[in-house]
Amino acid sequence: MRLEIGNFPVREVRFGETTAYSNGILTINKEEALKVVMEDEHITEADLVIACPGDPVRIVPVKEAIEPRVKVSGGTMFPGVTNELVPVGWGRTHALKGVDVLVVGKHWGGFQDGLIDMSGPGAKHTFYSSLKHICLVADTDEEFERYEQQKKNHALRWAGHRLAEYIATCVKDLEPETLEVYELPPITQRSPEVNALPGVVYVMQLDSQMEEDGYNALVYGWDSNHMLPTFMHPNEVLDGAIVSGSFMPCSSKFSTYCHQNNPTIKRLYQEHGKTINFLGVIMSNLNVNLEEKTRSALFVAQIAKSLGAVGAIVAEEGYGNPDVDFIKCIVALEEAGIKTVGITNECTGRDGRSQPLVALDERADALVTTGNVSELIELPPMPIVIGELEALARDGLSGGWEGCVRPDGSIIMENNAMFCGDTICGFSRKRMAEF
Amino acid sequence: MKKGILYINQFFGQIGGEEMADYEPEIREGLVGPATFLQQQLKDIEITHTIICGDNFMGSRKEEAVQRIMGFLQDKEIDIFFAGPAFRAGRYGVACGTICHEVNQKLNIPAITSMNEENPGVEMFRYTDIYIFKGGKSAAQMKEDIKAMARFANKLVHGEPLLPAAEEGYFGRGKRHEIYPEDGPMAADRVVDMLLKKLRGEPFQTELPMPKTERIPIAPPIKDLSRATIALVTSGGIVPHENPDRIQSASATRWGKYDIAGMDSLSPEIFKTIHAGYDPNAANEDPNRVVPLDALRAYEKEGKIGKVYDYFYTTVGTGTTQGEAARMGREIARELLEAGVDGVILTST
Repeated sequence: MRLEIGNFPVREVRFGETTAYSNGILTINKEEALKVVMEDEHITEADLVIACPGDPVRIVPVKEAIEPRVKVSGGTMFPGVTNELVPVGWGRTHALKGVDVLVVGKHWGGFQDGLIDMSGPGAKHTFYSSLKHICLVADTDEEFERYEQQKKNHALRWAGHRLAEYIATCVKDLEPETLEVYELPPITQRSPEVNALPGVVYVMQLDSQMEEDGYNALVYGWDSNHMLPTFMHPNEVLDGAIVSGSFMPCSSKFSTYCHQNNPTIKRLYQEHGKTINFLGVIMSNLNVNLEEKTRSALFVAQIAKSLGAVGAIVAEEGYGNPDVDFIKCIVALEEAGIKTVGITNECTGRDGRSQPLVALDERADALVTTGNVSELIELPPMPIVIGELEALARDGLSGGWEGCVRPDGSIIMENNAMFCGDTICGFSRKRMAEF
Repeated sequence: MKKGILYINQFFGQIGGEEMADYEPEIREGLVGPATFLQQQLKDIEITHTIICGDNFMGSRKEEAVQRIMGFLQDKEIDIFFAGPAFRAGRYGVACGTICHEVNQKLNIPAITSMNEENPGVEMFRYTDIYIFKGGKSAAQMKEDIKAMARFANKLVHGEPLLPAAEEGYFGRGKRHEIYPEDGPMAADRVVDMLLKKLRGEPFQTELPMPKTERIPIAPPIKDLSRATIALVTSGGIVPHENPDRIQSASATRWGKYDIAGMDSLSPEIFKTIHAGYDPNAANEDPNRVVPLDALRAYEKEGKIGKVYDYFYTTVGTGTTQGEAARMGREIARELLEAGVDGVILTST
């Protein structure tokens, strides 16, 4: 399968008469763009606001990030979610780079939402302070969940996906500045040289612990709670087959942008044919009860073994209870004779002294960790707030609490509420150390 | 100018060797023994006093020694405390750890010492809040060890950012925190590089060494259940609707106890869950699904158990750190023991 991603680097975003891209300048016709947003009658009000790295801006409650992209050939964007259910990961996709559509609640947040500081001491806590954001700041009439701590954020997230595609449509017929090619032939049709290299799989454990539909990560529109682990081509992940969920505490989350740009997949691609034979992605999930956890681990190990993998990377989109799924999966792979490295974050408490993972096993002897969900972060006031700062304290964000937003606008919070703060997909330069 | 005090043993206090190891604690104004070199290495810290105590005195009459030394410090102006270096001297190392820990806890000031990795004082005290620097085997390394302690003390008093234990040179204290190396490698590269090493059979360094788990032995069975008082405890977040104790929905640090005397079951009109880590519908529909009071009452009526304890205890288990959970568990267990409860049914979600 061959996927071409044509890159259009965005050096500046502005509003103007027509939505267009020229010489690195992305111009958006706000009125037209908001029409796309308002196609969903549940959206009651919406605005677009631009925020750039270095701006004195704090954004909260952030619900989702999407890279603006359009399919030029081969499939649709977000199949089974906002578009027809057809296979993706092939053909040509055009992408606006260095920029995202950021979905922000105008007022209301929830357990799964996060915060981004675009400058100051808070900026180092998330990769997302380094992107230019086209913030969709909106509210809905989804009264059933307005005061709920856990929100599906359906209208807003889907509006973000539509908006991202609308914006990117302006580069559909243009010539990209650079072209990335992702091509992996079928496993049985690779050269003897490649086949001689150690076969490696990338196991993704998606956020899927809500029993009710509407909260979990989607695989081609299918709720990942209702699936058994399955084999996927990495191009499908990079090309919009996975849409982020709306449940996991925010720092542990993979946004849709994280999936579209998954740096671990990209690095495995770089190694393919040189040091490894990149077999593909085993798409797994994080479950509620023990038998489901065991069953998923068993399926992952079986698929990996059947594919002839000798190495695996397991990435956990979550922490706490899902650590059990994570460790079980690593142990199952190791027991199948597959050398495994895990990537996750830790929960060592505010004092740093708590057990870092809920489940431990000596066979998980190779782990990369990207943050402490309960790290306490104190930040000064920020001149501009996009969204509503009080949401952090009022709406049960996983890293916020009553009183954590002070009258002067300064805040104290746990990393838990930092938007994709730990980027377990692999962007994180942050790590853990013993003090 | 900040004020510091150094603790040393009878040998480095120039009192004498083993024959003087019972030497009583003493405080002297100014610099004795290694204090002189320590003072030379410090910036903006004045060592005002030196405390000398025999190793045997501290070892065999610890409480008295600690009490007397804390008495010395009562009227002193003190911002930072030093002890040692103790090298491989076991009793001296334990003494340095003991007094550093005491001063750190009671006076809430930083305490710095230094020992060799083979000194038993390291394992005894490294997981407290004191700093134990990785020291040499013998007094031949005195200057190096003191320099390391002083360098760190200077950083502390000047409020400079502190690096991880391994880089500063002290024994890690089991406190894992985030660091933000701006130019450090991305996690994607770290994880693939680690895999490549593991595949090649090369040595690699995990970023999370597996901590040793604390195994709690299973309690002996209750001899006569029909006379036992059984309590219900949950981490499933069942609380009265108004959540009177304001237990957090995630990362809880608080627990509550609620009266269930006279109730046959938990009514959804009174109780609900505030737990943010699971789908609340089933629990809100029937809170007994999480706290099975209805089933336990049936057992009580049948005489299978003696009595359901009059209160149930509750907290939230999602995102709650192991440390906080253990503390809350101890607090709840203490109350249950005092109330003569014989057994607990602990439910999660």
